[in-house]
Amino acid sequence: MPGLLFPLGLAALTAVILPLVIHLMRRDEARPVMFAALRWLQAKPKPRQRIQFSEWPLLLMRLVLLILLALFLARPVLNSVVDRTPYVAVMPGLDPKTIGSDNVRLHWLAPDFPSTDSPAPKAPADFTSLIRHLDADLPKGVKLTIVVPETPQGADAERPILSREVDWRVMPGAMPAPQPVAARPLALSMRAATDQPGARYFRAAAAAWEGNATTGTLTDPLPPKDTVLVWLNSGPLPDAVTGWIKTGGTIIVSKDVQTPKSNAQTVLWRDDVGGPLIDSASLGKGRWLRFTRPLIPAEMPELLEPDFPDQLKALLTTPPAPSRVAARDYAPLTGRPAFAQAAIDLQPWLAVLVALVFGLERWLATSSRRRAAP
Amino acid sequence: MFDPIPPDVRHRLKGLRLSARRASGASGIGLHASRSRGAGLEFAQYRAYEPGDELRQIDWKLYGRSDKFFVRESERESPLAVWIIVDASASMGQSDAVRAAYSRLDAARAMAACIGELALRQGDRFGLISLSDTGIRVADPATGLRQRDRLRLELYGLKAAGEFPAANTLAPVWERIRAQDLVIVLSDGFDEACIALMERLSSAGREVLFIQTLTAEERDFPFDGGYRFEDPESRAELLGDGKALRTDFLRKFAAARQALEARLTASGIRHTHYWLDEAVDAPLARLFGGGA
Repeated sequence: MPGLLFPLGLAALTAVILPLVIHLMRRDEARPVMFAALRWLQAKPKPRQRIQFSEWPLLLMRLVLLILLALFLARPVLNSVVDRTPYVAVMPGLDPKTIGSDNVRLHWLAPDFPSTDSPAPKAPADFTSLIRHLDADLPKGVKLTIVVPETPQGADAERPILSREVDWRVMPGAMPAPQPVAARPLALSMRAATDQPGARYFRAAAAAWEGNATTGTLTDPLPPKDTVLVWLNSGPLPDAVTGWIKTGGTIIVSKDVQTPKSNAQTVLWRDDVGGPLIDSASLGKGRWLRFTRPLIPAEMPELLEPDFPDQLKALLTTPPAPSRVAARDYAPLTGRPAFAQAAIDLQPWLAVLVALVFGLERWLATSSRRRAAP
Repeated sequence: MFDPIPPDVRHRLKGLRLSARRASGASGIGLHASRSRGAGLEFAQYRAYEPGDELRQIDWKLYGRSDKFFVRESERESPLAVWIIVDASASMGQSDAVRAAYSRLDAARAMAACIGELALRQGDRFGLISLSDTGIRVADPATGLRQRDRLRLELYGLKAAGEFPAANTLAPVWERIRAQDLVIVLSDGFDEACIALMERLSSAGREVLFIQTLTAEERDFPFDGGYRFEDPESRAELLGDGKALRTDFLRKFAAARQALEARLTASGIRHTHYWLDEAVDAPLARLFGGGA
């Protein structure tokens, strides 16, 4: 279905007047011819005046050229023919035969949406994203049915908002839940200068986590990457430590440590009145967290609060997002604007055509068969 | 080498002979019917008598002086001088659009070369006069291969330019062309001065033949559309639509040609025409073919 992205470009069609005028004017310009028997020529008062164009093929070629150029400016596209058959996406694991309605497209809700004629693929890790993908892919007006078990696995934190009404069909059954991951206790490795306070609070926090906390001097070798480094010092970080962070380490530094500059510096923890306590930024593959106050209870009473270890742990670890949901409560909402379907751009082909016609026009205009070239 | 005669025409020339109606042969032995008898008049040499010579050819006065028989020999003289007059005015440069490289003058060159070839073959003397107001060139009549080469050289240098010369500058023509000479004029016949010259030559006892060289466009007038017709000599111009002008022109042109033919016939000038899309020998065949 052809269409124009910039119909105003058709205004260039007014330029077709130009060749018409040129070919009309050229007609008036008489070709000179040597004619010795002039005295027997009787001058007519006026040659028969009627609208007559000279060089028909050339004129036609020029008109075609201008029309093509105007079309080119109007940016023509060819919309692909849309398949309006209702679409049914079935979560892998369900039996597609039970859906059993005729004249629909049955596909697995899995990456690349294979047809249900093929064996069921692996269950998707994030089916909500696939639903959004499907909604964006399908042209406007195509009916979409999604068949899910009662308890699907791999949901987002947000209910999907789609551009169309979805027939959300819930079948009995549940998808297998992932194996729980045994969380290893956080280990701390402290490097403290002698004049820096605060190491005891970290030791206490590690004890509260039932984790390991080692203490060393500033020059000790650095711990493995899964251990959080606590750097209590002043002045800039040594290059070795910066390199360690960049390769994936996490470091907690005290107030006086100069951290590398970062544009994406965020405050992770605020006190009750909103003053920042810890700010953080990523560096390479790792990140740093910096206390904004000295680690003494007078300045930072949160150190003595009973939830300090939990707060610190929450900053250092990210719990897995919930991905299991009751399908009944997860029916997609509508409200997102429909995506425009990609169309085939005809401009390059038109450009080739224009070049061809231009070549033909030049050939017609300059070929030697013509005596007087307008 | 410059040879204006196309090969096929050269082949057909074999069947042609230049013939003059008025040629009396009074001036020598030759191809043409003669009233006078005997050898030529122009003295060449004496030679010793050999058995077989006619007795009346012996110079008796010399015998009286030397007591020996001598035969007086005269140069063999052609009885006919053929003058080729080529009009080299600018109008002769006109050609047809379909064959732009072949002008009237080119046709005149080819015809002049053909006439020269014919004259050379039958031993007649031939000369060339080209007429233009930029200069009248004369090649005196003679015969032989050398004269043929001279003719070709003259033809090669011809250029169509200027107008037909005025009557008072035509003295060389009158000085050179003797009575009884055969004069063949190659022109488009559009100049009144040219016609007048032919009439005067004819009435003065020269045998004048005229080949009117015309383009096919003048015969057919195939113009369609707007044209600016330009006379190469007077530089007059006329703007017109080819189709609108056609009927009128063809009628007037045919009438003018008829009037000219009548005038020429009245003056005793044999004449024919040559269209630029014809073979070059066609007018010669019309003029001389009947007698051959």
